[in-house]
Formats: sequence, C-alpha cells, structure tokens
Amino acid sequence: MRGLALPVMAAGLVAAVLGAQVAAGGGHYVPRRPANPCSPRPAAPIPAGLEPLAEQIVLVGLDNAACRLGISRERLVLALAETGSLAPRTTTALKTGLRDAVDRLDREGRLPKVSQLLPEALDQAGVPGIAKTLIDAIPSGLVDNALPTAPLLRSTIDQLDVNRLLHQLHDPRQLQSAVQSAILQAALHQILDRLRP
Amino acid sequence: MSGDRNHQPPRPVPARAGVVVALSLVVAVVLGDSGVVTLALPEILRDFGAQVWGVAWVLIAFNLVLALVAVPAARVCVRRDRATATGAGLVVFAGATTACAAAPSLGVLIAGRAIQAAGGAVVIVGSLELLVEATADERSGVRRWAAAGVAGAALGPVVGGLLTWAFSWRSIFVVQIPIVLLALPAAIALRGRVVWRQGDLDIAPDRPHVLANLALALLSAALTAALFLLVLLLVDGWRHSPAVAAVTVTAVPVAALASGRVFRRVRAGTRSEAVAGSFLIAGGLTGLALLPDAQLAWTVAPQVLVGLGLGLSIDSLTAAALRDRIPRALHGGWTIAARHAGVVLGLLILTPIFTADLHHAETPAEEAVASLVLDAPLPASTKLDLAERLGRRLVAERGRVPDVRPAFQTLHVPATQAAAATALELALEDQLKRAATRAFRNAFLVAAGLALLALGPALALRDRSHS
Repeated sequence: MRGLALPVMAAGLVAAVLGAQVAAGGGHYVPRRPANPCSPRPAAPIPAGLEPLAEQIVLVGLDNAACRLGISRERLVLALAETGSLAPRTTTALKTGLRDAVDRLDREGRLPKVSQLLPEALDQAGVPGIAKTLIDAIPSGLVDNALPTAPLLRSTIDQLDVNRLLHQLHDPRQLQSAVQSAILQAALHQILDRLRP
Repeated sequence: MSGDRNHQPPRPVPARAGVVVALSLVVAVVLGDSGVVTLALPEILRDFGAQVWGVAWVLIAFNLVLALVAVPAARVCVRRDRATATGAGLVVFAGATTACAAAPSLGVLIAGRAIQAAGGAVVIVGSLELLVEATADERSGVRRWAAAGVAGAALGPVVGGLLTWAFSWRSIFVVQIPIVLLALPAAIALRGRVVWRQGDLDIAPDRPHVLANLALALLSAALTAALFLLVLLLVDGWRHSPAVAAVTVTAVPVAALASGRVFRRVRAGTRSEAVAGSFLIAGGLTGLALLPDAQLAWTVAPQVLVGLGLGLSIDSLTAAALRDRIPRALHGGWTIAARHAGVVLGLLILTPIFTADLHHAETPAEEAVASLVLDAPLPASTKLDLAERLGRRLVAERGRVPDVRPAFQTLHVPATQAAAATALELALEDQLKRAATRAFRNAFLVAAGLALLALGPALALRDRSHS
C-alpha cells in the first residue's frame, strides 16, 4: 500500500493542476482566427466624412474579394502588402468586391449624399475660393440629382488602377491624389452622360 | 558489495564539513553548467552576431561532451588516485571556464565549453568517490552527490539568467572560477585516501543499471523542455527580461529541494518514487502545454509539479543506479552519461519541433494582427501608417516573435485616439503571446511523452525502501 501512496498523491496533484488549467481555458489560448469573409459582418454606422466612407467600402470590398478568391480577408491584405503586382484574377476580384460593397451599402441606405461630402472634397482638392463659392451655391438637390452616390462610386472604382494604388499606399498624399483624380473623372463622365441626349 | 572494502584504512579528514561543502558546490556548478547559459543565449547571439543554430551549440557541446566523456573519465578515476584526477579535472575546468569568459568568438566559446565538459566529467565522477570518503558513509555521500547535481541542474538557468541580467553572459563563467578553485584544496586534502587496490582492479566491474540509467536519460530529455523551452517561451515568446524569467523558473528548483521533505517521509521506495516523479514531470509539462494565458502565475503550478518530480525521481534513480555496484565512480559516470545524453536527445528532438511550430505560427499570428488592425476604431490613414510600421517589424524579426512596441512608440495619434491605439497595442501583444504559447505546445507535449516513457523502466525497477 505504501508503494502506491506516492503515485496516487502524484496523480491527485497532476489532476488538480490540469483540471484548474483546463477549466480556465487551457488549450484554447490560441490566436484569433480570421472571420469567414463570405458571412457579412454586422453593419457598423459610418461616421460622416470621406475617409470613413472610403474605409467602409474598402473593408466590405476586401471581404467580398477574399470570398471570391477563397481566402480570408486578412490573408488577402497580407498578400496585397507583399505582392509587387497583382494577378489579373486578384485585380478583378478586388474591383468586383469594391463594386459589390457599394451596392450593399446602397441597398442598406448607408451611403451619404454627394452634397454632404462635397465641402470636404472641395477642401481636400484645394479648389480656389471663388470656384468653391460658386459650387457651394449650387442647390444640394441639383448636385445629388446629377451625381447619385452609388453610380459615382462604382464609376470611380472602374477608373482606379489597383496596382498603382497599392504602390501608393505608403504615401497618403499620392493615394489621396489618385483617388481624387478617379472621383473627378467619374463625376465628369457621369455629368457628361446626363447631358448627352 | 560495499564501497568500504575499496578504501585504505581511514585517516582523519581535515575540516571534513568544509571539504563536503566545497565538493558539493563544485558538483552543483559543473552540472549547473549544463543549462546555465540558456537565458544568456539571446545576448550571446547578439554579441557574436551568430545564427541561432550556432548559438545552440554552446548548450549542446557541453552536454554532448559530458555524455561522451563521463564513462571514460570514470575509468581514469578508477585506475588513478581519484583526488589527483579530480584536482586535474578542476584545473582543466577552471582553465576552460576562463577561456569561455574571455572568448573573442563563438568558435572559441563552443571549444571552451567542450573542454569545460571534459574537465567537468572528471570532476563529477571523481567527486562521487571523494564525497563518500569525506562523509565516511556511502549512502550519505551518494545522496549528497546526487542532490548537489539535481540542485545544480535546476538552479543553473536561474543563476545564469540573473547574472546575465545583472552583468553580462561572461559573468556566468567568471563567478565559477573561484568556486571551482576552492574545491582544489578539498581534493588535495583527500589525496591518497581513495585508491583502488590491485586486487579490486582485477574484479570485473558490475554491469551498468540499464533501467535506472534509461529512466534518467528519458527524464533528463523531458526536463530539457522545462529548463530550456520554458525560459525561451518567457524571454522570446512573452518578452520578459532574463531576470524576470530567472525569478519565475525558480519554482522548479524550490519545488525540487522541497520534494524530498514532502515525499520522502512516506518511505515508499525507489520504484514508487521514480514512478511518481516521472508522472509529476509528465503532468507538469502537460500543464505547460495547456497554459490558459500568458500570465506568469499560470506557469508556477506546472513548474512545481516538474520540480517535485525532478527532486523525487532523479536522485532516487541515481541512487538506484549506484547501489551495490562497483566501481562506484564508473557507475556515477554512467548516470552522468545517461543524464546528459538525455539532455542532448531532448535538445535534438524538441528544438526542431518548436522552431518548426514557431515558423508555422507566423501565418496565424500575422492574420490575427491584420484582423485587429483592420477592425481597430482608428482612422484609415492611421491604420495604414501603423500597418507599414508593423510590416517592417515583422520583416526585421522574421523567425522570432516580433516586438510591436516600437511601431507604436513613434506613431503620432491625436489625444482622442490614444486610448484606441493603446488598446490595439495590448491586443496585438496578446495575439503574439497566444501564437508563441501555441507554438511551444507540441514541444511540451512531446517532452511530457518522454517523461511518460520513463515510466516503463521506472516500473520495472526492483523496489528498495529508504532507510
């Protein structure tokens, strides 16, 4: 019996320690797993402003693109950061994903009117005072009627050179300039389309 | 067979207690050298600009040479005056230790460590006979020798870590020199007292105790995980200082030293102690594999299990390997060879497992970091800036767990976003600790498996109760 005493005591001690650890979550202390990009994330309210809107479109768009490519959103982002130039399949998935993101936000009524974004856009673009005053004088309804947000954003996405944008990620000024240029071109096309008989 | 028949008629040993203390200390120092540089490896790596695998040889070379030389050294001790041989070993060990302290390159350090181990092997096996002589009692001498070895092996990483933190890795070797040289007068005092008679030399030596030595080798391989992998997890994985890591891992030696007091009262016998010890070590290592988070407190209970098992099994198995076997020095050599072959085996088995797992942990860690940055309540421009900085950290520390703090230290965020940035920094550190902890899990589980394998030979031991 004395020979069994020590192994039994040892077993009791081991069971107590391992039991306490497992009860406290031992074995599950692992890094957070990426969410399934094909399951839509809960919709968060978009703060006013161009940057939060752009961020929301990019985040939803990344999910859509990752879902199409069959990888996680995080893996896609890391691949984008490491890759010099994108494969055509990835470029297509990204553009489609961004367009789908705009559609989803539009369906959910979460896209702001262009007139709400215009003052900030004019400030960022450095439009001269007189031109800005003239544009400000245009009634909001007319602006929103001429430039509905969703088509403008979709057209902007079509104008974007994704490969070039990726190389400009480290330079916020270049990035902003490239996006502004794409928005301007998209707006111009949209207005011209409206003016055509 | 008794060791007494091997001795010349007893003469009084001058300052017997001092001799015993000096010899016990030197046994602890030599065996402590097995893992003493564990916490110093990152500093050595930086100093010499070496590769990880090269620096690992600072550990491996010592244990490998000790394992290979212990038995031949014991044969030398058997045929020569053991005190003289031990004295010579002390001089070689001290010289090599001085070379290690002043090593101008990694190559010299590794060569110094190998010579240290060769000298140390003679010191260890010679000290066994000298301790039996100095204590005038075989059981007491063997117990002191084994206990000093257990204490040295358990305390080595702790002392090495504290010295590295307080001074530098070179101080680890500097402090050993006076301790080793202090044992020289003790060895000289015993010269001519412990010699073999020609008749004894003609008797064929007993065969090594295969079961006890096998169990010692397997447990030593398993203990490598507790003494080597745990400090790596604490320093490289959880980014604690070597001093904090050293203090944390004192739980193992403290429990090992308390183990005898706690369990030996049961007088359960060698087999029972070896079985219980192996089971405690396996349980402790499993506990280290199943940590619920990265708080140091969670490592204490598993370490206590390992320490209790270490204290219970190693000296019990060592005593079993030496009991009634002559020449004692030769069988002492077999136990040292078995233990340090086990350490080398542990390093060779476990290092590739955890380095591969650490490599595989990069992907989930990067994804977790990316996920947190993408979802952080910070402006997109701040996130882009941060992602760029974090990317640079990941590239700079490829192959190691990255330190994200520098990326945040120079990040300019308005006061309104400071709290969100701090929360993100903490969350990223938590994810990296999770990835590192997960990366060490398999190595700890394999080590636990090695300890469980030791149950086989331990169960097959013939039981002998303590008296």
